[in-house]
Amino acid sequence: MTTPTKGRMIRLSDGSAFSSSKDTILEDLEENNVTLEYHCREGFCGACRCKLISGEVDYTIDPLAFIDDDEILPCCTIPLTDIMLDI
Amino acid sequence: MKYTTFNQQPTDFMVEPMFFGNPVNVARYDQQKHAIFEKLIEKQISFFWRPEEVDVSKDRMDFQSLSEAEKHIFISNLKYQTLLDSVQGRSPNIALLPIVSLPELETWIETWSFFETIHSRSYTHILRNLFTDPSHVFDDIIANDEIKRRAADISKYYDALIFATQLWQTQGEGTHVVDGETHVINMRELKKKLYLCMNSVNALEAIRFYVSFACTFAFAERKLMEGNSKIIRLIARDENLHLTSTQHILNLWAKGKDDPEMAEIAAECEEEAREIFLNAVQQEKEWAHYLFANGSMIGLNEDILCQYVEYIANQRMAAIGLGQPFDVSSNPLPWMNNYLNSDNVQVAPQESEISSYLVGQIDSEVSADDFDEFEL
Ligand code: FES
Ligand SMILES: [Fe+2]
Ligand SMILES: [Fe+2]
Repeated sequence: MTTPTKGRMIRLSDGSAFSSSKDTILEDLEENNVTLEYHCREGFCGACRCKLISGEVDYTIDPLAFIDDDEILPCCTIPLTDIMLDI
Repeated sequence: MKYTTFNQQPTDFMVEPMFFGNPVNVARYDQQKHAIFEKLIEKQISFFWRPEEVDVSKDRMDFQSLSEAEKHIFISNLKYQTLLDSVQGRSPNIALLPIVSLPELETWIETWSFFETIHSRSYTHILRNLFTDPSHVFDDIIANDEIKRRAADISKYYDALIFATQLWQTQGEGTHVVDGETHVINMRELKKKLYLCMNSVNALEAIRFYVSFACTFAFAERKLMEGNSKIIRLIARDENLHLTSTQHILNLWAKGKDDPEMAEIAAECEEEAREIFLNAVQQEKEWAHYLFANGSMIGLNEDILCQYVEYIANQRMAAIGLGQPFDVSSNPLPWMNNYLNSDNVQVAPQESEISSYLVGQIDSEVSADDFDEFEL
């Protein structure tokens, strides 16, 4: 969380891309009118689960939801590098 | 193997499986084989709430203004939820505590069940406010065929596991005749029953509440029954956490990260697990049909509710490796998410009189670190 993480590129599998400016990846997606499912927005329900194709993220809280090794929870992550999501 | 409340043998919990290993002795949380359960306990306790904190008195007037069809929808849903929480308030304890082998998981199960009893008590709180004497509502739960059919399906996997465990713990492995019926008890069978039971609980908490939640929040969208909606939001937040716990258990098994025999059983019983889920989906759709039999409510109808059930089922089945069998790619009730969001649960007290002062304060001030020294 010490690395500045704004201004990273978030790319989606449909080819669209934008740069991060919010507190979580989910908020960045919403800011750019990408609809992603969410319930808790606190990392414990898993509703926002999605595949991280490339890049690295950091968690803003300790996530409790079950995720697979290649998945992230956008509601409680920020991009550490440019990232590509399977959305 | 006979159950003992304090196993005198020294046990290394770091090598025990979640279930059917050695019985737990010391309730210690300094070493955790699966730390996730300790984190779930912390989170669940941080959610603590009391039904009495939510003022439901305005709902009484709202209820009088509902159409007969809407009253049927509202009350039937409360009956169904009462059934679900009656089962959930006791069954994880009775079915799982006698066979659990990890202290953090044992305490999670107790914490989880305890919160179900809060849910149960909240239905009495809601109904007492609507009716001077709500007993006819409760009495109908064991008379109403629509509800009874669901009850049978929900409790049967629990009951099968509980009975087999009792035979095993009193008579050991072998073939036992009870009341003229023959029962073959061996570890493989016990574990299979546990696996199916866990899938049934997972499906229950994954989708069985959501038809009812959708109706509640559709009323709230019209500014009706908002006290009730506040309570249901607190319940929904807890349910999401419970669901996460059974998803973890099922995935730990399936991925071979716990008991290797459970990984085999998971592979062997995948079809049965899928059937349990699909059957729950079907029953929820039938429930939507029953709710709207006397007429719809504004903002919802049977069709859209069934699509929502399929949408939620896709997500929840994918989370436990059962794929996405339904063809619904976008959320047909997007406004639902605003109510399932845990941030929104703590609104300003004046908004609907939740003294969520207490609830809100705990939630915002407790971080995972605060519980580092936490012991029961
Ligand atoms: S919305 Fe619940 S985990 Fe992201
Ligand atoms: Fe519950
Ligand atoms: Fe629950």
